[in-house]
Amino acid sequence: MSVRWGLPVVAVMGLVAQGLVAGGALASDTRVALVPGGPHPYFAAWADAAAAAAADFDIEAEYRVPSAWELSRQNEMIESLVAQGFNAMLVFPGDAVGTNSTLQELADFGVPSAALAGCTVDPSAASFCLGTDVARSAYLGTQELIEALGGSGKIAHFTGFLVDPNTQLRIEAVQRAADETGGAVEVIQVIADIDAPEPADEKINAFLAARGAEVDGIVTTAWVPAVVAATSLRNLGDQRIKMVGIDHDEVVLQAIADGFVHGTMLQNPYGQGYIGSYAMDLIRQGCAVKDDAPWLETAQTARFIDSGTAFVDAAQVADYQAAMVAVTEEIMATFKDDYLACN
Amino acid sequence: MTDRLRALALADWFGLLVVVLVAGALLAFLQPAFLSTYNIYVLLLSFSLWVLVALAQMVIIAIGQMNLSVGAIGGLVAITFAGTMEVWGLPIPLAVLLGLVLAALCGLFNGVVTHVSGISAFIITLATLSIFKGINIGITEAQPFYAIPDAVKAFGAARLGGVPYMLVVPALAIVGVWLLFNRMVLGRQILAVGANRHAAELSGIRVGRVVVIAHVLSAVLAATAGMLAVARLQLGQPTIGDDWLILSFAAPVIGGAILAGGHVSVIGTCLGVVIVTLINNALVLLGIDPFFVQLLLGALILAAVMLNRWRERRREALA
Amino acid sequence: MGLALLIVVLVAIFATVNPGFASPFNLFSLTRVMGIDMVIGFSMMVVLVTGGLNLAVGSIGVAAVMVGGWAMQVQGVPVLPAMAMAVAFGAFLGWINGQLTVRIGVHSFIVTLATMSIFFGAMIVLTKAESFNALPGAFVDLGRLRYWGFVSGMLPAALIVGVGLWLFFNRTSLGREILAAGANLEAARLSGIRVERTIVVAHAMSGGLAALAGLMLAARNGAALPSMAGHIGMSWLLPAFLAPVLGGTLLTGGVISVVGTALGAAMVTIITNGLLQLQVGEFWVQMFLGLILLAAVLLDRLRGVMAERRRQVR
Repeated sequence: MSVRWGLPVVAVMGLVAQGLVAGGALASDTRVALVPGGPHPYFAAWADAAAAAAADFDIEAEYRVPSAWELSRQNEMIESLVAQGFNAMLVFPGDAVGTNSTLQELADFGVPSAALAGCTVDPSAASFCLGTDVARSAYLGTQELIEALGGSGKIAHFTGFLVDPNTQLRIEAVQRAADETGGAVEVIQVIADIDAPEPADEKINAFLAARGAEVDGIVTTAWVPAVVAATSLRNLGDQRIKMVGIDHDEVVLQAIADGFVHGTMLQNPYGQGYIGSYAMDLIRQGCAVKDDAPWLETAQTARFIDSGTAFVDAAQVADYQAAMVAVTEEIMATFKDDYLACN
Repeated sequence: MTDRLRALALADWFGLLVVVLVAGALLAFLQPAFLSTYNIYVLLLSFSLWVLVALAQMVIIAIGQMNLSVGAIGGLVAITFAGTMEVWGLPIPLAVLLGLVLAALCGLFNGVVTHVSGISAFIITLATLSIFKGINIGITEAQPFYAIPDAVKAFGAARLGGVPYMLVVPALAIVGVWLLFNRMVLGRQILAVGANRHAAELSGIRVGRVVVIAHVLSAVLAATAGMLAVARLQLGQPTIGDDWLILSFAAPVIGGAILAGGHVSVIGTCLGVVIVTLINNALVLLGIDPFFVQLLLGALILAAVMLNRWRERRREALA
Repeated sequence: MGLALLIVVLVAIFATVNPGFASPFNLFSLTRVMGIDMVIGFSMMVVLVTGGLNLAVGSIGVAAVMVGGWAMQVQGVPVLPAMAMAVAFGAFLGWINGQLTVRIGVHSFIVTLATMSIFFGAMIVLTKAESFNALPGAFVDLGRLRYWGFVSGMLPAALIVGVGLWLFFNRTSLGREILAAGANLEAARLSGIRVERTIVVAHAMSGGLAALAGLMLAARNGAALPSMAGHIGMSWLLPAFLAPVLGGTLLTGGVISVVGTALGAAMVTIITNGLLQLQVGEFWVQMFLGLILLAAVLLDRLRGVMAERRRQVR
């Protein structure tokens, strides 16, 4: 399964790494764990990235998954990893606010950490956030949709759990993109809390039944709604409604190739895992995070590094990793100089 | 009023039927799209899946127990069904059969352990929920199976006007379960065990056998729901079944089942599913602000229960 | 108590297999989770004793914590009164559950199924799902409280609550009435107990305890989070049921074991923690958790049966 992301990227990364490590540096004592919020297909590329980073930088890097998507389970997982001797932590925040207390404890215990894929809200003990600016991604996706609609129309937004602080940001971002058209584009409905496939199917189809004739475009900002909406449009045989999805699920990619979905907002999970592991190793070896680095600022944090967000449509879908490999290389090339002060 | 009408009016589920009809009329008035062919199709699709889930739980409620592993069994069978077709290239009928056998084994395990140990099914299925879901996650590593055969996908999407082909499966299941509880000795034995286990034992019913059969039946119904979900979603999602628990209890209980066991209503359960489906549909059709959806869902379920209970009391007072 | 024995065996095994298990860092985080899960378990236990259920524990816990967080952060209420407000609000929500159960005359299962959605939905509407993350330091420090270098303050707190509950059910007439009504409603009614009152009190206590568990979790997280107990509070249900049920509290009501609930929570926490440290494939942890739970339940049962036999032989 992991091969999809793995092979082409690993090859490229190997070359990059050889240049950086410069012929076998000393084996470091870094043991970094990559901890997602729970079992989820998005993070599969982290496992490959961890393996590649372990080989390339001569560190120990492991992908460890909490058994369920719950903040408490993730916290327990992270604590137990520290007890097992892991000394650096890359975490997808189970809650953008709630994960901070755990990261602070790690810091108190001398374990550096960073937020990966999604950010924690400042103030945070995370060294940095390397990931996707969720609001920006939703905003750009909506802009792509609006462009495909020719600048006007009615759109719907399908998203995930409302208790996730990121969901609120996404809802606002989509609304903002629509508002900027000065009334030409209207968000006629937002459906949330559809992270489980069966309720997603039920609600998305009910929406299409009620307003399918009226709606011109759909933007989805969570994995499951994107997959289910793509399948529903395919079943309906509807190519009139334009849809912009999120992430790289095969169903979404195939629907783009077949013309049922206009495009998707891609993220860069492999690059996150690989660069994150590299950065953690350097920090373990005494590098400090610079205050005057070219940080980006998001709604959540002032120490954001964009791991790459790209819109992919039918023209690029066949070779969708290429864009991300390029971004990863670009970040890797200057990461150490840009963000870290090493002695 | 003729005797027949009076009997109908006194049936458990008559109040629910009134609730459904009133709610339907109201919805049709507020949103004309409610009665569109496509929306009827969407409603029937939801009904097809949820009614199997509800029946799976109802069978266990009938023996006075609870099966928390309904969703976990459904999910495990779903990914087995999808996975064996993708990885081993198993023909569809064989994959279906394998799914049913696997479910029967899960149910057998639940039933036998519950009966032999004498520990409540609630606890046993709480543990097996973790085991079955754990196997699911262990096998899939949270990755879906994508290569679902076209025939299965076509079955999940096919419809005749507003009627999905898929409806055949739950229709058969409803008839089967109805016959079981209303026409067959085994059904009466299940209810007898649920009403009073001791008395059932004394009257010569082999309680162990009845308990095990109920658990196997529950698992098989859950498995059927799991496989339908795969056909519908066109995807072997490991998260199938995660969201079933609440509905599985809500529908039978709204439908008049007594949690202590011994009394269930197949028609009531079906109407319970219809009510929950209607509520979910209405919340989307009426374009409710997402922040209010959860609040309204709860309030409407409570209202349905109160209305039904109020009618029951009036009936008791009249009888 | 078979559970105590099982716990000793499990601890011995985990400590031998993985040295990290007995490290102060791990013991601290272990006892912290343990304390919180105990109170969550207590909150379910007091309703189970009436023969009812409270599916809304998670929703009440979150709703109450958001009230407490709002009081502390926005209104500037001092920590202790704000915590008292949260607990009182939780008890009030529980009281609503109790009243609805008694008045409508349906099983509390279906009432709390509806109210878990209602309470959670109302919380989402009012907070817009935004957390309170600037809570007073005095409150957040409660989560870092540490005794003898390795015991989290959460554990003694939970044990004190446990002692209080034990006294309540064994030494007060109201507590005994709740037990009697749970064991046999009609008999209790005939003997003059106001059974409706016992049900309402049990639900109110459940709400208050859920709020307390929520506050403990909020102190641990350093913030009042809407996502703390998952979607509609679902992620509390497993610990809520596991602890009392493993501890010997009957779902049919009337029988209660405060000590058992505490030990049940302790056992589950230890198993979970120990399993995370063993190098089982990361995706298989949940399955092993289920297997060990099942084995533990069966072993405990077997021990009970054997003890019973030995007594009969004698």
